[in-house]
Amino acid sequence: MDPSTTANLLLTGLLRGGLYALMAVGLALVFGVMNICHFAHGEYYVLGAYAAYFAYVTYGLDPIASIIIAAMLSFLAGVVTDKLLFSPLRKRSKGDWVVNAFLLTAGLSVVLQNVYRQVFGMRYRGITQYWNASIKLLGMNVSADRVIAFCIALLAIAALWVFLQKTRPGRAIRAVSQDEQGAVLLGINLDSIHTLTFALGSMLAGLGGASLLSLSPAYPFGGNKPLIASWFVVTIAGLGNVQGAIIGGLIVGLFESVSYFYLGQGWQDVASLGLLILLLLFKPTGLFGTQIKSVWER
Amino acid sequence: MQQSSGTIQTDHTHSALPLIEKLKSLGLSLPLLICLTLLGLAPLFIQDEYILRLLVISLYFGSQALTFDFTGGYINAVNFGFAAFAGLGAYAAALVAIHTGLGAWAGLLMGALITGLVGFFTGLLTLRLRGIYVSLMSWFVGMTLMALATALEDVTRGARGLIVPPIYENATTTVYFYILFCIFLVVFVILRLIIHSRIGLAFRAIGQNFEAAQASGVNPTRYKLLNFTISSACAGLFGGFYAHYVGIITPDVMNMGYTMEIMALAFIGGSGSLLGGVFAAFLLIPIFDSLKYLMDYRLILYGLLLILVMIFYPAGLAGLYQTVIQKIKLAIKKQRPAS
Repeated sequence: MDPSTTANLLLTGLLRGGLYALMAVGLALVFGVMNICHFAHGEYYVLGAYAAYFAYVTYGLDPIASIIIAAMLSFLAGVVTDKLLFSPLRKRSKGDWVVNAFLLTAGLSVVLQNVYRQVFGMRYRGITQYWNASIKLLGMNVSADRVIAFCIALLAIAALWVFLQKTRPGRAIRAVSQDEQGAVLLGINLDSIHTLTFALGSMLAGLGGASLLSLSPAYPFGGNKPLIASWFVVTIAGLGNVQGAIIGGLIVGLFESVSYFYLGQGWQDVASLGLLILLLLFKPTGLFGTQIKSVWER
Repeated sequence: MQQSSGTIQTDHTHSALPLIEKLKSLGLSLPLLICLTLLGLAPLFIQDEYILRLLVISLYFGSQALTFDFTGGYINAVNFGFAAFAGLGAYAAALVAIHTGLGAWAGLLMGALITGLVGFFTGLLTLRLRGIYVSLMSWFVGMTLMALATALEDVTRGARGLIVPPIYENATTTVYFYILFCIFLVVFVILRLIIHSRIGLAFRAIGQNFEAAQASGVNPTRYKLLNFTISSACAGLFGGFYAHYVGIITPDVMNMGYTMEIMALAFIGGSGSLLGGVFAAFLLIPIFDSLKYLMDYRLILYGLLLILVMIFYPAGLAGLYQTVIQKIKLAIKKQRPAS
């Protein structure tokens, strides 16, 4: 294999991995704090992509402004979803929360996908690029969009880390993820923490969809691939392990670009499944997972 | 078809009706027998091809919902690649029917066997872990199967579709209906017998309280594995039937949308009720199908119904039925002393 191919594979893998990490962190956060196996995560990615598309193309806004608007809209959508669906379910659920919440997100995913389809049609809505530039990396020309999307992903993850470590609501989120009853005793309002967590998770997904608009256009079922990838990452890294999700995202990005190059579509999925089977056989808690209890703690 | 087993029984309290008692022990209670008889006789009086097809499709989805509920409703494990498992059965049955001279029935059994094996290994890897792992793994397995069905064009003809011969030459929709009806009855009676045996008791114990079941000496992994394998095999069996019935299969039969539909039917029907999903299928599928403008919104409605059932009425149709029956019984009891 010549060096330029290696560099190409490495770069594509890493740049793709950044997005996976972003999506997977949101997923791990929602799972770790709310104990929801979130199956509609990809739909917030698509929402972000649509929002950015309309802000950028229809309203002619600046790229950064479009992406920020998309992230804010996804955050709002997350708030509405939690208030409308998970909050009533929490009040009514009797001990079978995990399965019920999981099924609820599955229903939500079908509903949202088909609502997008009815509202926006099956058309692909994409743009060629946000920024008309390319950056030289490892002797290759990479479009600025990809590099900036990668940076946005890393920035967002870093910002989330600071938020969870340094601010009161962030610390409250971590407290809830460690011990719900203890958190309640300290006067933390569980409901608002859950809403905040879900909204943050949705925002991360929406941010991913918006910043990658030039690579993957907005499309009703466009959330499936990122969803699958991020669940794969989370399973590999260990469920609910946010830090592991970051490294896991990069690993899976690299693994996919290499296996796609050698095996092609179809067999690449087999390779991913093989990796998962090996992991479940030898280290079922995930590469970095020890015990699934807290978020951003180990 | 059950009638032949009507031997004379003396030790029953209702010895006047040994046959009914016997059928009841198989899970075929009187109201259900009436429903089944009506359904079984319906094709004799219906000439309309459209309604016949609707009956077959409703019964097909009902059977799959029954199979799904056997796992989802009892051991609390959601097979998230269900449509792909059924699709694997469909492809296996089709390939056996096309390439070997063994005939359609051998193909159906082969489909069940292969799908059962895939289910067994999926379960073997994941069922000892937390409940969500089996859902994730079956989802990944399902997607891999679909990707393979698309990629292996030499075997499956990919998206162009594999043409499947009919079960019998010139088989009409009525014939297909009776074939499916018989398979359904056999599968239902078997699943129902399992549920009402000691094994079924263990299933329910595991589903309701994993730790308590473990503490009382039940090996949860082994029972869950048994359950998951059986339901996978049944999914493959019905999938094989479906392949012959529609006559052409594409990788789209493994689409996640079908998993959602079956899952929604099973939970709308009532988790842990076996037959709830069948009733939900006969209720919802004709409604969606007859109102053409609803077809586009079908999945939205399924999703919404699933969400609403999950939040507000987890007992589903089966729970509704139980409540109504209890109310009626109470009302009768109240009236009796007065009269």
